[in-house]
Amino acid sequence: MADRIFAALGLLAILVYGWIAFTALKAPFQYDPLGPESWPRILSVVAALCALYVLWKPDVGNFRLQTATGIKVAVMLVLLVAYAFLFERLGFIPATALFAGFASLLLGARLLPAALFGIGTGVIGYLVGAMLLELNLPAGLLGKLF
Amino acid sequence: MDAVLAGLGQGFAVALDPINLALVLAGCFFGTLIGALPGIGPINGVAILLPIAYSLGLPPESALILLAGIYYGAEYGGRISSILLNVPGDAGAVMSTLDGNPLAKRGEAGRALSLSAVASFIGGTLAVVLMTLFAPLLAAFAVTFSPADYVALMVFAFTSLASLVGKNPVKTLLAAVMGLMIASIGIDANTGVVRFTFGSHDLMAGIDFLVIVIGLFGMAELIHLVEAQATGKLKVLDIGKSFVSWADIIRVRWVVLRSSLIGFFIGVLPGTGASVASAVTYGTEKRLAGESGKDFGTGDIRGLAAPEAANNASAGGAMIPMLTLGIPGSGTTAILLGALLLFNITPGPVMFQQRPEIAWGLIASMYIGNIALLVINLPLVGLFARLLTIPQQYLTPMIAVLAFIGVYSVVGNPFDLYMIIGLGIFGWILRKLEFSLAPVILGVVLGSLFEDNLRRALSISGGDWGILVQSWNSIILYVLAVLVVIVPLWLGRRALKKVA
Repeated sequence: MADRIFAALGLLAILVYGWIAFTALKAPFQYDPLGPESWPRILSVVAALCALYVLWKPDVGNFRLQTATGIKVAVMLVLLVAYAFLFERLGFIPATALFAGFASLLLGARLLPAALFGIGTGVIGYLVGAMLLELNLPAGLLGKLF
Repeated sequence: MDAVLAGLGQGFAVALDPINLALVLAGCFFGTLIGALPGIGPINGVAILLPIAYSLGLPPESALILLAGIYYGAEYGGRISSILLNVPGDAGAVMSTLDGNPLAKRGEAGRALSLSAVASFIGGTLAVVLMTLFAPLLAAFAVTFSPADYVALMVFAFTSLASLVGKNPVKTLLAAVMGLMIASIGIDANTGVVRFTFGSHDLMAGIDFLVIVIGLFGMAELIHLVEAQATGKLKVLDIGKSFVSWADIIRVRWVVLRSSLIGFFIGVLPGTGASVASAVTYGTEKRLAGESGKDFGTGDIRGLAAPEAANNASAGGAMIPMLTLGIPGSGTTAILLGALLLFNITPGPVMFQQRPEIAWGLIASMYIGNIALLVINLPLVGLFARLLTIPQQYLTPMIAVLAFIGVYSVVGNPFDLYMIIGLGIFGWILRKLEFSLAPVILGVVLGSLFEDNLRRALSISGGDWGILVQSWNSIILYVLAVLVVIVPLWLGRRALKKVA
């Protein structure tokens, strides 16, 4: 069933892709026999055939995700999005400390070790990443302080 | 032969440069480290470390040497969690658990680890030697390839991928085509037409390769680890004092040599890597062992040596099509190829002439890397084993932090942080539905090459599709493509008949 749902959604995306390739894409002028639309057209046809086959003969019965695990995965995704949202706004150290702390808490660490781990990851990550390896990391709030 | 020696000399001059030497060692060390982490295989390791390596601002040959060291090291490190935890880091390490873990349970983990290190060393070294001999020949031959021949080569690569990787060939093909479709997003280089961006400026230049790799591999792995975590505590077995003896090595010498050769050739085939190589050699050795083959699976050292030699040999073999044809032999080499493209270097037959320092420097660094890995691994295996005791709750968030650092430091665009999360979910779903991810990344990497060659071929012929089947090179490749589909089917049917 899961296979069928995925294949159906995939087919939908492929049809949109194909529709664009067959109607919208066009070079204003071109000298070559194949324009920018030909390759996507070929791909969309092959992909659609494959998706139809999976739809017709699926082989994975179910998605096998228990509710508790599903919730955990969902919370992790929320944390990740929050991390991405705060990454530039707060800066690397606070954002990482918050994310790593809450994520380890979610995965079963206790409060104090989780807090220490979060702060440690943020600070050490910044020292190694930005100072030692000279990578481009956002200084954010703390950058304004110093 | 003289050219090979001259090239190799030049390569060693590059590889023995103090910085490059340090990078090989660092790559091997961190690769082993990340490969040893439970559940993280070589491909995820290389994916997670790639952007960081890229943004260090190294010259291309140094960056590639570092990445190859990581790749090699991760193949090495994978065996530690296979043997001590019974948790293979990736499909290529599954076979190593079969006899490796029983040995460790018997209290001979030290023997198993050191034996597998030696087997990996021999497999890896043999592969580099063969590579030194064959790569320049193949490159010299491939220089004559026309765009139409390249199209045929690509068709062959994708058919052998579909036929040999994963359980369901149609799903593998669909995964590869999805990769090709992802690659078509952005501005078309030939005409300047914008494709599939839906008006988003962030997509104009296409989805950055690093973003795709980190998303599909690193982030998908993270979600997978969160999901898998519920399965209770794993017990790490003690290493103990046992060590590999000369008698052991002598006993498995033919096993190791055979498996290295088989592994190497399987590695060279496009799309097939360590997983196929280790499975094939394990099966072969078990059959060759005859009556005593029934010990396989209960802690027979031959059953450990064979897949270990094979998967390191295939890691070397997979480099050949990547370096000489620009067609990667495995998912991980696809990532390495993408890394070269990031440096504006297109691997392929002319690389041996135009950028010999890269081609030969990499090969020379692999000789050094193999030795370094053996030296690092024999005494330090206890240190790496301790990594297995890092609790998941700290390990998993670290992956996200590394991924974010990597992606942000390369592109500096927060939009990409959302992209990797989205791609991570997509990759995780694909994995759950038993699609393999390697074909997707192969599709992404080869997308523009495939399209360009097709368009070039048809410009040459003025729109006549017949050009695709006009040269002997391409006809032979199409025949091979058909064979690679038919032979496994035929073998499968024959095996079924035997059972019945």
